[in-house]
Amino acid sequence: MKIRRIGAAGAIVATGALVLSACSTPGGSEIVEDTSVSVGWNQSFYSQNNLTDTGNATANANIIYLTNAQFNYYDGELNIAKNEDFGTYEVTSEDPFTVEYTVNEGVTWSDGAPVDAYDVFLYWAAQNDRWDNVEPEYDEEFNIINQDEIDAGVYFSSSSPAANLISGMPEISNDGRTVTFVYDEPRSDWEVSIQPSPVAAHAIAGIALDVEDAEEAKQRVYDAFANDVTEDLSAIAKTWNTGFDFTSLPDDERMYLSSGAYVMTEFVEGQYLTVTARDDYEWGPKPKVEAITVRYNEDPLASATALQNGEVDLISPQASVDLVATLEGMDGVSYQGTAEGTYEHVDVVFNNGGPFDPATYGGDEETARLVRQAFLLSVPRDEILEKLILPIDPEAVLRDSHNLVPSAPNYDEVVSNNGSEFYSHDDEANRQKAIELLAEAGVETPIDVRFLYGEGNVRRENQFELISNSASQVGFNLVDEGDVAWGGRLAQPTTYDASLFGWQSTSTFALNGQANFITGGVNNFGGYSSESMDAFWDELSTNTDPERETELLIDIESELNEAGFSVPIFQHPGVMAWRDVLEGTSTIALSPTIFWNYWEWEISAEDSIETE
Amino acid sequence: MATSVSSRAGSDEQAVSAAPVSPTGPRARLRSSGPMLAFIGRRILSSAIVLLGATFIVYMLLAIALDPLEDLYTSSAPNKEQLIQQRIDALDLDTPAPLRYLSWLGGAAQCIPAAVGIGTCDLGTSWVTNQPVTAMLSTAIPSTLTLITMSTFTAIALGITVGIASALRQYTGFDYGVTFMSFVLYSLPSFWVAVLLKLWGAIGFNDFLADPRISPPAIAGLALLGGLIWQAIVGGAAQRRAVVFGVSALATAAMLFFISASGWLLDPSLGIVVITVLGVAIAFGVTAVAAGLRNRRALYSALTAVALGAALYYPLQYLFYYAASGPMMIGLGLVAIASGVLIGWLWGGPDRGQSMRAAAITALFVAALTFVDRLMGVWQVYSSSSRIAGRPIATIGSQTPGLSGDFWVETMDTYTHLILPTIALILISFASYTRYSRASLLEVMNQDYIRTARAKGLPERIVTVRHAFRNALIPLATIVPLDIANLFGGAIITERIFAWSGMGTLFLRGLNDKDADPVMGYFIVVGTALVVANILVDFIYAALDPRIRVNA
Repeated sequence: MKIRRIGAAGAIVATGALVLSACSTPGGSEIVEDTSVSVGWNQSFYSQNNLTDTGNATANANIIYLTNAQFNYYDGELNIAKNEDFGTYEVTSEDPFTVEYTVNEGVTWSDGAPVDAYDVFLYWAAQNDRWDNVEPEYDEEFNIINQDEIDAGVYFSSSSPAANLISGMPEISNDGRTVTFVYDEPRSDWEVSIQPSPVAAHAIAGIALDVEDAEEAKQRVYDAFANDVTEDLSAIAKTWNTGFDFTSLPDDERMYLSSGAYVMTEFVEGQYLTVTARDDYEWGPKPKVEAITVRYNEDPLASATALQNGEVDLISPQASVDLVATLEGMDGVSYQGTAEGTYEHVDVVFNNGGPFDPATYGGDEETARLVRQAFLLSVPRDEILEKLILPIDPEAVLRDSHNLVPSAPNYDEVVSNNGSEFYSHDDEANRQKAIELLAEAGVETPIDVRFLYGEGNVRRENQFELISNSASQVGFNLVDEGDVAWGGRLAQPTTYDASLFGWQSTSTFALNGQANFITGGVNNFGGYSSESMDAFWDELSTNTDPERETELLIDIESELNEAGFSVPIFQHPGVMAWRDVLEGTSTIALSPTIFWNYWEWEISAEDSIETE
Repeated sequence: MATSVSSRAGSDEQAVSAAPVSPTGPRARLRSSGPMLAFIGRRILSSAIVLLGATFIVYMLLAIALDPLEDLYTSSAPNKEQLIQQRIDALDLDTPAPLRYLSWLGGAAQCIPAAVGIGTCDLGTSWVTNQPVTAMLSTAIPSTLTLITMSTFTAIALGITVGIASALRQYTGFDYGVTFMSFVLYSLPSFWVAVLLKLWGAIGFNDFLADPRISPPAIAGLALLGGLIWQAIVGGAAQRRAVVFGVSALATAAMLFFISASGWLLDPSLGIVVITVLGVAIAFGVTAVAAGLRNRRALYSALTAVALGAALYYPLQYLFYYAASGPMMIGLGLVAIASGVLIGWLWGGPDRGQSMRAAAITALFVAALTFVDRLMGVWQVYSSSSRIAGRPIATIGSQTPGLSGDFWVETMDTYTHLILPTIALILISFASYTRYSRASLLEVMNQDYIRTARAKGLPERIVTVRHAFRNALIPLATIVPLDIANLFGGAIITERIFAWSGMGTLFLRGLNDKDADPVMGYFIVVGTALVVANILVDFIYAALDPRIRVNA
């Protein structure tokens, strides 16, 4: 019975199926197509506001560079290129130093509101510390005791020396396009110190103060700063500090407004971020690629494999000899060594009673200077370059300037006049010279030198070996002070006599180096002190004439080389690799590195292979 | 605990105690629940103390090892001092680490009421990205579970199957082969496996897809290999082996030739015919193991399930086209099982349970084949889309950026990203399951009650499946929950190499960025999962093995 019943049911179903199959079966799945360039990067974007202390990272800066227009940018030769399609700026007075910024008509945020002087104003106001009226305070049990004050008070987690030099309230013109900043005293890096804010002024007011209308919102922001409206400023500051942090595409469009060529369209946490070209963008170089996707992946070799497999088109991972060997064996992939923004150098300590301190020789400045020079001469710079750097970047050169990257426009002029030929590129000759200097100084050898470097960093460990070998031929006995916590020990110069580490440059302006070399500078760990050096830097910091800056750099570096404080070695090598289908790639030593010329990228049609 | 049991299992007393000895009835259960509750309470309390101590130790280790100021030491920012001071304030670095631990614990303690919906859980914030740790965990855990669940369960299923097969063929070529392979796999470093997989499985395979023709020597070699493996598995007398070898080698060669000649790899499909043929084979196989082929009703139930599946093949295509989603697929799977059960029940007979089981398992397999067939249908359009560009197998990430399509395209995309890390994880973990299940089945098979069962004249199938198999699984019950708890920890190396942003990545990035709170969040999740799994293991063990008393 039952069997028959099932059989009947089965027959009905089968018949039904046959009837249905007489109609054509439904179509297959379809895929929405468009073209794009995929870039591999090692850290995920996390904040639209890269002016805050937490948001200040290259991972954010790269994306903001794609989505936000600026008054200027660094070109391939590290010259400052103005983008006058976006806006203009000019120095209207030298005394007091006054700069006028004008945003062109027709430049808009991606929500349609105009980009104007208020956005430039916000860039300055948030980084000027004068409105910050509270700092967190803690009791013995580390609880914040002034939480109410913080909630009511104003604290912008952003600060810039240039913004703090403009203490007067800037004027905004009636049409809202022009803002004028008056500096208390000039500053050499003024040209890269003011830009439009990465977050729109009307967006911050919209989120913090619930003002819908863009014009009204801009005015409200300006008034809050101008009239010191604590209540508004407190809300604005809080939004500024954390309101633009996100790790996947937010629902509120105001959090990722674009003023540039691309606008963020997709962001999957920990995976990738896609920006798509804006149709209405015409205030700057127009990109040829419809969409750029940045994919996140921390492992350098995995990025290389992904490049080979066509999942990414351009990568710039942490460089190693292994990586270069892997890239070399790939078809359809090109690569080149690059110079990064960090440079390696050896410093000595002047004031710790060690071998480089005049006090050790009874206050004899000259003997100590000769010993310092001899030691720095014994650093085998050429050997280090050849063995550790050239295998990664065959184009790499020794760096002979304390302040300029070798690709900087005025680098050649500075190094040919700064006395760097004393530390020549011939290790053997340097060692001979060092031996003579030690003999001239008449000190007893071997001299013990406690040498601090980062333990666990293979390249620095190798450098230590090379330096140690070379120095021992001259008459120095290097004591291995390799330490994983080397960073913290830099500030304790009594525990070492010489150190090996890197300084990072963020702009081509020499001002970054000021704290390394002036008396009592935060980064002057070696205790170097010279009145003329301090005077040079004082002048350089307020100087706005590029030619004078070059002259001052020559003076500064000649003195540094003479005093034997520090010797630069090489620029950290990087690798950039791309699939041959992608054309127009290039890189610069400063942020945004491989992204700097995104508008020149072009991906050929062969990207997709034919099927069948 | 596992060792104490397995050593006792060898003694004589257990043959008697195979039958349950616990007093039954509601009163007995009530009486025994008192000590049981006390035991649970004791276990939870001791686990909580362990966890508390462990978090303190880890917190202190992190406080000593990680220096959040490191990147600022070499910064040449003009306002460096201010930046350092700000970070010290923000992270409370002036406060001694044990006191900071207390404040962290204060926040973490709120997670216990938060678990039942009171208040909010505060595990701190990453100072690098300003993101709350709870938010980081809530995206990392699902991502890790996607990656690891499939590989763990596949490894368990595969490992146990192979282990049992090799135990049943003890000291044969197959057994030695499996032993050899499992030791080789066990000793492989995962980063190396991952790199090889990418090289061959992704880049090699994708290149191969550009012109998917298998050369005749390759076909011959693979056919010989297939024949060797099959004759080793089936075993038996020399003649039988020879026949199995010949048939399976020929079948493999024919299949490979078809795949190569028809360009099947570019546009694969099974179709109703293949599904039906495979379904019938599965029906016979499943019935043979679950009920024995002599049980005709069970066989017919299984075959009816196949027929029903085949009949529904075309109607389902419409359903797949118009309304496909993840939950629906799971629902359809359940429906398949239910209809199998129903078919078995309708076939009736004295031993309905066996028919129901055979039909249900068969129905599930047929449903899975239908699903795979539909998924294959999307392969061509997927792999030739501009985003994929003919290179479907991915080496990084969990999805293709910018690829948008229907459920099938997205599922295919997930699978092409999952396949390599899954294989890498399976290769490594499968070996240990093979060893455990082989050893445990061998031990059980040598026991007296198995000899008794054989002496009664029971068929070897029943001896193995019903008497030996279940007892052989008991030791695995201790391993599997702990492995599942380990799932939450992610696979640190595999995740990094395949750019999978799960728990392992969270942990590594926390360490690299000198960011202690996410690492503590990771530790809390993994630690809690392990502690809970440990308690669970005790209970599962007691439930499975009546000789064990938790309140003893």
